Amino acid sequence: MTLQMTSMSLISATSALQDAAHQSPEVPLGVTLFFTGILVAMILCLALEEKLHAKKSVIVGAFAMVSLLCGAACHLLPFGPVEVGGHQIDLPVYIPAVDWNVIAIILGSSLFVDVTAKSGLFTWVAIKLTKASRGDPFKLLVSYGLMTVVFSAVLNNVTAMIIVGSLTAVSLEKLGRREKLLGFLLIEGLLTNVGGLLTLISSVPNIIVGTKAGISFIDFFLVAGPYVAVATVITLLMGAKLMGIQGLRTAEERAEARELVAGFDENDGVESPVFFWFGACMLVAFIGVIASASVLPWISDLKMGYVALSFGLIMLLRFKAVADKFYQAIDWDLLAFFACLFVVINVMEHAQVLHMIGQGLEGIIGLGDVLGAGSILVTSAAASSVTDNIPLAAMLAQILGENAMIAGDPDSRFWWSVIFGANLGGNLTPIGSASTLVAVTIIHKHGLPMPFVRFVRLALPYALVQLVLATAYVLIFVG
Amino acid sequence: MSKVDQFESAFRSASKAVYHLDPPEVRRVLLVTDLDSPEMQQLVDQLRQFLLVLDGAEWQRIGRGEFENVAELLELVERHKPDLVVTYRHLGSDAWKWPFSLGEYLDVLTQASGCPVLVLPHPTEGGAMDHALTDTNVVMAITDHLTGDDQLVNWSARFTARDGVLYLSHVENQNQFERLIETIGKIPSIDTDDARDTILAQLLKEPTDYIQSCKLVLDGSDLSLDVRAVVMIGRRLKEYKKLIEEHAVDMLVMNTKDEYQSAMHGLAYPLAVEIRSIPLLLL
Repeated sequence: MTLQMTSMSLISATSALQDAAHQSPEVPLGVTLFFTGILVAMILCLALEEKLHAKKSVIVGAFAMVSLLCGAACHLLPFGPVEVGGHQIDLPVYIPAVDWNVIAIILGSSLFVDVTAKSGLFTWVAIKLTKASRGDPFKLLVSYGLMTVVFSAVLNNVTAMIIVGSLTAVSLEKLGRREKLLGFLLIEGLLTNVGGLLTLISSVPNIIVGTKAGISFIDFFLVAGPYVAVATVITLLMGAKLMGIQGLRTAEERAEARELVAGFDENDGVESPVFFWFGACMLVAFIGVIASASVLPWISDLKMGYVALSFGLIMLLRFKAVADKFYQAIDWDLLAFFACLFVVINVMEHAQVLHMIGQGLEGIIGLGDVLGAGSILVTSAAASSVTDNIPLAAMLAQILGENAMIAGDPDSRFWWSVIFGANLGGNLTPIGSASTLVAVTIIHKHGLPMPFVRFVRLALPYALVQLVLATAYVLIFVG
Repeated sequence: MSKVDQFESAFRSASKAVYHLDPPEVRRVLLVTDLDSPEMQQLVDQLRQFLLVLDGAEWQRIGRGEFENVAELLELVERHKPDLVVTYRHLGSDAWKWPFSLGEYLDVLTQASGCPVLVLPHPTEGGAMDHALTDTNVVMAITDHLTGDDQLVNWSARFTARDGVLYLSHVENQNQFERLIETIGKIPSIDTDDARDTILAQLLKEPTDYIQSCKLVLDGSDLSLDVRAVVMIGRRLKEYKKLIEEHAVDMLVMNTKDEYQSAMHGLAYPLAVEIRSIPLLLL
């Protein structure tokens, strides 16, 4: 839930930096264009991550180093002591550029999810649903689809894809229906991005844009919920039709399938019933506290990062003697990626790059509430399909926040256009989102061919329907 | 992608083999001996008492002079189409004096026959245990891969007398395990102690879970058996000999067919050669 919610602070950090940038001396156009080139190069490298055989953290880290060096050479960076709580502290310029609340949220939530998974809770839920489907492929598709959406909403879409995807591979193998694996994984991958729209904390773009726009948790859910419900049903029905996933017809087939899934033991991963129920209660509490963090006394000051770290630590107490094993399992690539991304965006702020892009978008925004918002949604989706949607969402949120007509109006369609576009654009290509990338990786792991073009060809009908539906929904029901 | 593997492992572990009770029908029993009629009749009488579980089965006999070589014996067996062949070790051979084989007839018969072969202790060797050939109150199924082996359990249950004890045993090969751990000990990226504990736990967990499933089904059936689990790691021959003595086992049941080779299953042959004191049901 967490990884992604993370960037809520990215927004606040970038906004603070933006303010600083506005006060900085005029930056020559040539310098701004030079840094724009660096930003474009970074985005291209992220899009070609697979081809480069490089982790996100290494790519963005390299660009952060280059950006800082160039920023220093161009006298763009605000060197000097930083004031913290009335004290002047001498910090390297890239340290305050990082939003440590975001890093704390990612770290804490990763720990929390990893340790909670040890309780067997997630596998218990997943196997219960598998057994409830009685091994019927269509019911299994519906169960796994709904589970993907819910897990994406309350955990994060990558973890959701890992849990549901791995269960899918095992259960279809057991049912002797391996030929359906590709269809199942594809549909689940596409649903992770639909589920990521459900709440304010379901994905990083939601947090970034929602926080910047001032959309409350409840309002976000009320607006996004109906779309997610309809899009999920349509995606599942399309998937069943296009991938030939049908229900079992004869009584013998049903009896055989029921017997096969009955062999799953949901309690196998539950080492301690007490810890299992403790994990379940903590998960509910975690969601509740995160959702209400902004209004809880003291917690609102300590912020969500504190909540995530605290819950992670409480769960770790159970494994206090072997806590180091969980530290090893933390996604350090993701953490380093975020930290370096903050640094790059910080430098871009000082180089007036975001300001320049914002001016470029003024034309689209000027098309009006209908054409402009629709164009922003489609443009965001297209951009998200080939690169990371987090920097995109951060930049667009920043730019919209600078627009006098949009800023301060949480009901503006433009905010929702960015949210829907940034999330759903990930379904257009296998590199459009981390969760679809996980889906493709699982597909490859099981020896099934899924080159880039094939993914696009298979996913395009679903993605187009979801985007058309989203555009219509935003233009008709939002604002 | 280590987490994908982590969750796949968790789900694979949760996917358990479920036992299905399907006791085999034994309607025709073929007794193959190299004895004369009076001795054979004596043996038949003893076997009828010993194999009360086959009450109602039709007994057919092949005795001295009816076959001269392995080919003729196989042809006779084929002609009778039995559900079970009963014979004894070193049939038609005096190699019983040396404990190094089952005899040329049995070596072939156990592999060529389409039905199970019940191998009795040699009638003149005198090495049978006191309780051997009296009843089948204690039957032990033995294998190094019990999980999912419904056939082995079904035959074992079929031969266990009513209210008898059925041991379902699984002994992991300690020598193989140690060799594996020794190799892991040379790989820096794998924690050797962790690998030893987790691999052994998983190796023993699977047959334990399967036996639990067998027990659940058999307890719910009308067979009235006391199903007990023996799951361990050890040097198998030594462990089985010990178990047979400890539990006064009346019959051992084991698989002998190996789809990857013509020779008898790797575990079955040494056990069949070495364990000469009780009847062995070779599937």
